[in-house]
Amino acid sequence: MALIEVRSLSKSFRARVRASGFGASFHSLFKPQWRVVEAVKEVSFEVGEGEAVAFLGPNGAGKSTTIKMLTGILEPTGGQARVLSLDPSRRRTQLATSIGTVFGQKSQLWFHLPPSDSFALLAAVYELPRELFLKRRDELVDRFGIGPWMDVPVRKLSLGERIRCEVAASLLHAPRILFLDEPTIGLDVVAKRELRSLLEELRKREGTTLFLTSHDVGDIEKVCKRAIIIHHGSVVVDESMKELRHRALSKKRIGVKYGGPVDLELPGLSPVKRTADAASFEIDTRSHNLPELIAALAGRGELLDLTVEDEPLEDIIAEVFRGGNAEEARAAARATARARGGLGDGAGGGIDSGDEGGRAAGSQGVATGKQGGVP
Amino acid sequence: MRRNGLGAYLRFLGAAFSSNIQAAMEYRVNFLVQVFGMMLNNAAFAVFWKILIDRAGSIGGYGFTDVMALWAIVSTSFGLAHVFMGNIRNLGSVIMKGELDVYLLQPKDPWLNVLVSRTSVSAWGDTFYGYIVLAFLPGPSVPGFLLFTVLAIIGALVLAATFSAAESLAFFLGDSSAISGALAEFMLSFSLYPETIFDRNARWIFYSIIPSGFVAFLPLAAWKSLNWSMVPLLAAAALVYVIASRALFALGLRRYESGSQMGTRL
Amino acid sequence: MRAARAAGAPRSLVMRYAKYFMAARLGLHTRLAYRGNAIGRSLTYGLFIFVYSRIWTTVMAGRTELGGYGLSALVWYFIVAELPSFAYGRFFGTVAEDVKSGQIAYLVARPWSFLGYGFAQAMGPALLDIGSFAVEGLLFGLLLLGDCPLRDPAQAGALLLSLLLSGVIQYHFQAGIALTAFWVEENSAFLWIWQKFALVIGTLMPIELLPETARRMALRTPFPWIAWAPGRIAVAWDGGLSPALLAGQAAWALGAILLSRLVYAAGRRRIAAQGG
Repeated sequence: MALIEVRSLSKSFRARVRASGFGASFHSLFKPQWRVVEAVKEVSFEVGEGEAVAFLGPNGAGKSTTIKMLTGILEPTGGQARVLSLDPSRRRTQLATSIGTVFGQKSQLWFHLPPSDSFALLAAVYELPRELFLKRRDELVDRFGIGPWMDVPVRKLSLGERIRCEVAASLLHAPRILFLDEPTIGLDVVAKRELRSLLEELRKREGTTLFLTSHDVGDIEKVCKRAIIIHHGSVVVDESMKELRHRALSKKRIGVKYGGPVDLELPGLSPVKRTADAASFEIDTRSHNLPELIAALAGRGELLDLTVEDEPLEDIIAEVFRGGNAEEARAAARATARARGGLGDGAGGGIDSGDEGGRAAGSQGVATGKQGGVP
Repeated sequence: MRRNGLGAYLRFLGAAFSSNIQAAMEYRVNFLVQVFGMMLNNAAFAVFWKILIDRAGSIGGYGFTDVMALWAIVSTSFGLAHVFMGNIRNLGSVIMKGELDVYLLQPKDPWLNVLVSRTSVSAWGDTFYGYIVLAFLPGPSVPGFLLFTVLAIIGALVLAATFSAAESLAFFLGDSSAISGALAEFMLSFSLYPETIFDRNARWIFYSIIPSGFVAFLPLAAWKSLNWSMVPLLAAAALVYVIASRALFALGLRRYESGSQMGTRL
Repeated sequence: MRAARAAGAPRSLVMRYAKYFMAARLGLHTRLAYRGNAIGRSLTYGLFIFVYSRIWTTVMAGRTELGGYGLSALVWYFIVAELPSFAYGRFFGTVAEDVKSGQIAYLVARPWSFLGYGFAQAMGPALLDIGSFAVEGLLFGLLLLGDCPLRDPAQAGALLLSLLLSGVIQYHFQAGIALTAFWVEENSAFLWIWQKFALVIGTLMPIELLPETARRMALRTPFPWIAWAPGRIAVAWDGGLSPALLAGQAAWALGAILLSRLVYAAGRRRIAAQGG
């Protein structure tokens, strides 16, 4: 029984068409024009217990919309989703007790308080009996290595430290599924690495199902075993890492440099880059015989240098994302095999300070500044 | 284990309150400064009223102690509302900034969750101010304090419901800060002056959209004559306001969930 | 003029002060770009007028005059007396910001008077505010009372001058208070004290309603010269008193300027000594 079942899930919005120009703006006041935005188009997939799925796509692909439908924040306009056999939009509160969420930009931890206080509050939110809460908390603190930061106000923690506490907090109630939306965004290399190994360990030790969206290649490689790529609202790739890697490994880039000008016309293959005495080729080892090719190239002239590389993953992914529509993207994916996000660092850099759970620094009392006749 | 039962909610509210206090403690100096400012402002108006009433006699049947009692009740009501539900004036901003999602994802009623997740530091000052003034007013003591507290709690609920309802308009209007700001202005302006200066025919407003009647005028009358029999009526009114406010929020939330105010909330 | 300049003559008055006019224009343009808050303040002003007109109506129900003022006079007084609070209430903020942010360290090095420049920049939008609030006040007054206290152009001119002088006094006192940030960081409290005194002494009601001793003492403070003076000119335009009022305002304006310069000079010494 799959933990997450998504069938033909769709979401469209009505967005107002912004009129430009004075006449048109005026007109739009009385007769507003609407256009339909199809953010998610008939997406289907299943996620089983203990899986770690990477949900990838460029900005505007429909990732966040999908994850919001899975967690019950948004109501689908078509199809259905079942998470832990519950309809998320109808049974959100009930579902909330069994899922955890780490949404990069939005924090569950109170900004001005140390994480330990937020943990205590979460214990009340999730109705954890005291002993269970303490045990679980100590376990998580130990496992995540966040002991030294538990009593430091969140606002004083670095991004990496905060995310670790954030993830730990999301696990307090031992959820069966953990949804993470861009968890490594803004983190430095070391912090990313640590977080990834923590997530990997989490999956192994507790069998928590992970569903994570990302732009980052590394997230996918290290943590997830399966990638679902969404573009223009549709799924373009849904494969296990093994398959993807296998396919990607078939893509190679060969660079050659010669002592002098050389004729490099080869049957069925033309160079990607070409100067008089050097060239690079992109080949697919399933359609070209690599040893033969290398031998042929070596025989063309005085070979000074030969490099054989895997196609950079970012390039492959970019190819998929560049697809003008879902069909193109799927074709690109098929042609180039592995796809991954790599386009910049996406929406909203970094964690928002999280207004909730603070105190109103500037809020005035009953009549201070209000009654004084001084605005 | 019954999920989300009353006990669980009480525990949750207690924990939220405790977190609020701790967060507020981080800003002790700011608190003192704010309290000072508030006291100063209230004192200025007290002087104004004293001078005016000394010169002109009672205003619409309100003597000096009446006006002071009015300020005390409104002050404590306002204070209690913002101490326990510090986000009632921020709800609109929370909605606009997409911060609502965090609350939606927790297994507690989102409306309540948002409202109690913050405290206003200065509101503590307002709360105590009312009691300080009360201590100086002539009249019975312990039963008076008790009734005052009950009335203030009721008033706080009405205030909280009204303010948060105005803020919930953000679901429908986007930036509703002008409306909610205006409402707050009206509420305070009308609640702190004798009801009788206003035209008899217009006073229905104070018992509907600008509920100064339930926050200030009726409680004042009840407290003055130590009349407990008004309490059930006022409590019922408060309940109505709370239910209406929550219903408006729920309506708006449905809209939010259908995503029609998509914006750029990625 | 060119010849005079080439000959090393002192710059003309116009050139010397052109920069301040530019500053005023700059302030005005900035204000026009941020009109959002204006609606809120207009609402507050209108609401106040309404509420206090109700108070005075109730008070005057059984009498014809109070402290020499009739009902209409009391309400119009309030409308005018509140203008300096609403239009000139926020001078403190910008100056305080400059000091707290350390911006002032750069500003003192500029080839113009910090206070003069600040005043010009602040008065641009403030005059706009006075204008718009005055229109609003006039409308409310006409609606609520049906009459208008302005009798002749001389009165209007005097009122305008009076309000301008109020602005000078307000700006320089507020700036002076703001500049205490050199010594006391959390100095908003001082502003609040200033504001509350201003409120009680002459804004909410004419000082004639204060007890005798209080009134005499009040006249020795700047507050009545900010609100009561224009208020009185507006509702009690008798040729005799108004020149005296204007003269009093002018005196306080000068005093305010002097005081603020003293504070500023002391503050400058402090920057020099402490490096900001």
